[in-house]
Amino acid sequence: MKKIREHVHGLFKEIPDSEIKKSMEEEIIQNLDEKVQDLIEAGKKEEDAINKAIVDFGDIEDIKKELEQSSAAKQKLKLRLIFSLWACGLIVALCIFINLYFTPDIIWFIFPVFVIIWWPFILFYRWYENRL
Amino acid sequence: MLSSDTIRGHLDSIILRLIIEKDRYGYEISKEILARTDNKFKIKEATLYAVFQRLEKKELIKSYHGDVTHGRKRKYYYITTLGRAYYREKIIEWEATKKIINIFMEGLE
Repeated sequence: MKKIREHVHGLFKEIPDSEIKKSMEEEIIQNLDEKVQDLIEAGKKEEDAINKAIVDFGDIEDIKKELEQSSAAKQKLKLRLIFSLWACGLIVALCIFINLYFTPDIIWFIFPVFVIIWWPFILFYRWYENRL
Repeated sequence: MLSSDTIRGHLDSIILRLIIEKDRYGYEISKEILARTDNKFKIKEATLYAVFQRLEKKELIKSYHGDVTHGRKRKYYYITTLGRAYYREKIIEWEATKKIINIFMEGLE
């Protein structure tokens, strides 16, 4: 059944690696192997059985679309998280600077920092949730 | 062998139905569809896995690995509560759609 494995890996070549991709490849290989077994039991030669299973399988445009959609969504979340971290960092730095420069006796920058920190927190949570 | 766009639009429902009946794995589902339709409709396996992926993402079905068969573990799918509700929703929708389309598909020879 090496041929099946090679064919499936070939089909998935262009799709970026991910856990989902790996498990889907394994699933497809398992199912195709079983189909080939069935065809052989029904009296086909191994060569023919493998070829039939491969032809019946069709092209993977649909699968590609599904997998790309999920990876595009992840990319977007990641980008937002990075943006929020940078923006939050800059605002916090500004607050600390103003605080220490103009009113070094009163530490008030903690309060705006507490508020602004929720922004990356929320995005981090969403990104983390999506990773699972 | 029928493989029209009309059916493609209802693949989710077809597959959900089969998974509601009992936990099933990919190859079993493609065989079952062929058998039940007297070989009139054959699902491309590549399409089947795309549908699994979509349904799993929407949390309508979930999967687990079964016992080892033919040297490998089968990946079984089972229905979630959400999946059942979605399927019931689809039945109602289909009944309504059927009536509307029939208005224009019947009575003229």
